[in-house]
Amino acid sequence: MTRKNAISLLLILIIFGFALWAILPIDAEKLGRKGLHLGLDLIGGVHLVYEADTTENATELARNMSRTVTTIQKRIDKYGVAEPVIQQLGDDRILIQLPGFTELDAAKSLVEQTGFLEFREVELTEERKPITLGDYLEQTELQFFDKREQGDRIFVASMVDEEGNLKHKTAAFLVSDDTGIRLTDAAGNPVDKETLKEFESGLSWISARGDDGTALTGEFLADSFPSLDQSGVAPRPQVSIEWNSEGGVIFDQVAKRLYSPEQDYSPQHLLGIFLDSTLLSSPRINEPAYHGSGVITGTFTRVEVEELANLLKSGALPMPLKQPPLYQEKVSATLGANFIQMSWMAGLIGIVLVMLFMIAYYRLPGFLASLALVFYGTLVLALFKLIPITLTLAGLGGFILSIGMAVDANILIFERMKEELRMGRTLGAAIEAGFNRAWSAIRDSNVTTIIVCIILFWLGSSIVVSAPVMGFALTLGIGVIISMFTAIMVTRTLLRLFLHSPLGRRTALFSIDRGKK
Amino acid sequence: MFDIIGKRFRFFLISGIVILVGIISLLSAGLPSGIEFSSGSMLTVKFEEPVEYDLFKEEMDSLGYTDAIIQSAGEGQFLIRTYELSDSEKAQLEDSLSARFGQVTEAQFSSVSPQIASETVSNAAIAIAIAAVGILLYVTWAFRRMPRPLHYGACAIVALVHDALIAMGVFSILGAILSWEINLMFITGLLAVIGYSVNNTVVIFDRIRENLTKGIGSTFEAVVNNSLVETLSRSVNTGLTTLIVVLALLLFVGATIQNFVVVLIIGVIAGTFSSVCIAPSLLVVWDKKEWGRFIPWRKLSGEKAR
Repeated sequence: MTRKNAISLLLILIIFGFALWAILPIDAEKLGRKGLHLGLDLIGGVHLVYEADTTENATELARNMSRTVTTIQKRIDKYGVAEPVIQQLGDDRILIQLPGFTELDAAKSLVEQTGFLEFREVELTEERKPITLGDYLEQTELQFFDKREQGDRIFVASMVDEEGNLKHKTAAFLVSDDTGIRLTDAAGNPVDKETLKEFESGLSWISARGDDGTALTGEFLADSFPSLDQSGVAPRPQVSIEWNSEGGVIFDQVAKRLYSPEQDYSPQHLLGIFLDSTLLSSPRINEPAYHGSGVITGTFTRVEVEELANLLKSGALPMPLKQPPLYQEKVSATLGANFIQMSWMAGLIGIVLVMLFMIAYYRLPGFLASLALVFYGTLVLALFKLIPITLTLAGLGGFILSIGMAVDANILIFERMKEELRMGRTLGAAIEAGFNRAWSAIRDSNVTTIIVCIILFWLGSSIVVSAPVMGFALTLGIGVIISMFTAIMVTRTLLRLFLHSPLGRRTALFSIDRGKK
Repeated sequence: MFDIIGKRFRFFLISGIVILVGIISLLSAGLPSGIEFSSGSMLTVKFEEPVEYDLFKEEMDSLGYTDAIIQSAGEGQFLIRTYELSDSEKAQLEDSLSARFGQVTEAQFSSVSPQIASETVSNAAIAIAIAAVGILLYVTWAFRRMPRPLHYGACAIVALVHDALIAMGVFSILGAILSWEINLMFITGLLAVIGYSVNNTVVIFDRIRENLTKGIGSTFEAVVNNSLVETLSRSVNTGLTTLIVVLALLLFVGATIQNFVVVLIIGVIAGTFSSVCIAPSLLVVWDKKEWGRFIPWRKLSGEKAR
């Protein structure tokens, strides 16, 4: 064994060891979620592509698109989906992938939702004392304190988080229907009084209504936008709101009732702004009449102001999206799990059969090529995991196809070796000649496959239904490149190793007898 | 020793017949396209209890989905392919089905709008065109030191068009019989076949290049034939190992990537044949300027050139 060959062997063993370490342990599910990154078609999930509706507002498209993406991200984060993908696609499209989320309609409404914006005030006793959840919990039989208001109550618990910010949390509802009045938790499920004890200080919010009983909701809001309060030393971000004519009247009626001449912050003077039953902000009413417009001030950052202004536009996305989505797809998790099992089997059977064929036809070199093939499989899987490559069903198909094509370089070399042996060269010379002469064919033929992979990848990135094409192009492309290395480096090193062992003298193992014409 | 080049016109005839039949099928039956290319919705429903196909089809007809393509996809499982369903239409369909056959689950659903479908079609066509041009340029470049390098590139392209035509033609016949539709996996498979076909052709051309440089062989025709025979076992063996894994994919993964696998099987066979029998033969035909022999009534002048 020459020194150079020993170094190659060592290098190969180190790479193999590293690759094995990277992919092992393959957990019980063979290709588990923690192991390889699997595409939606394999683990199940929802894939949506929306297009922005620019008919009403085509200005500032880029800015609005990125804000829309952020808004959707926030909505989905609230839902707790693992590793969601929300990204802009081209100029005016948004791609949303929710792995493991298999409720298509729920996913769509989560993205498309336009929230219900309403304005509320705190329920008061006849002595004008604010009512809390605790007051209701003390009742033996539930009944409204303020009998004039028969709508539901929202109980909001307020707390200060670690950073010192005030946070509002909807704790419970009091709803009345045909069966009477009952308490529910924040998700609308029946709940017993004991579990609500911790929120007993939560205020009870009722609808803010005009004199004729019309509830003040988002439909009366004409516009809301970020602005600057110039009254202080430094300008402070604030939100300006404008009511439509009807809203202006109702709002002034509400304001007159809530107005606090002493400018105190007691709950009686607050106007609660609720989006989908969540308290966004509770500004104090400072004036008895606003005549159609007003501002919400506070210690806001510029971003918060922008966000609040957006939410006030009835929680609409900064850029409306066209419905139905351009593309929608849902795969159930069980279907995906089947695909993994099936591809795993196909890959295993494929690799074993190819190895058997190589050994039967090429004997010892074929066996060495089989070792190289095992090395190839391990290395490619390790790369998929480390890069990481998201594997789709088509991607797995590309990988399995590449197993069949990976031995091509070996076949080229071995055929060449046989020819050289037939021409009377010694085994050692034939091996070297086989590798050297086959190289130009291996290079030129693989480049064409790589060209095709690059073009497929481009195709994949330019169309919406992209996952299968891109996955295939990536795995086949990586496979072809790696196989050039394994088929040449690994097989050559192993062959040289055997050449200098006693086995190297048994030329029958190199199957030259088959080569006779 | 085999004389492949000598029998070149027989191989052209075989290919010509297969391609002709394929083209007739393509022109008459066409390639029915899936929702990715023609827009629409595809829904896989699964029932707790096994449901007979005929009963299911009957129910779908009575619900007004007479144009829908319905395939059985395993025990109590059906694949429905129809126009682009709205949310309410889909909900209604599932409700009706569960009222008739019991609990139904939606295993898979996808819906493609016409806009996306037409983009996909045009981009797929562009991709195939770019692939062909890219390969022509590369092969011409790789053989730039040879006399007439463009011949090599052009013959490789003819071989890949040959393979693509055969793959599409056979698929069209199978599609007409088994009501298959082409989808993106079909295009992916087709491009893989293109890559494979050129890969094979280039290996043989590489040997021709080597033998020509060495100056072995009396005529260009003899050099080409020698090169072919020398690389024959490689061509066959690589075809076999590729077929082995593709068949494993067909057996285990089956229906979902059926398109892809079937195109590959046809393509690998056609690709092996074309790179051995068609592309090198065309080089010889071009070299000897035998084009006249493709026109039967000019056979005599062709014979002279031999």
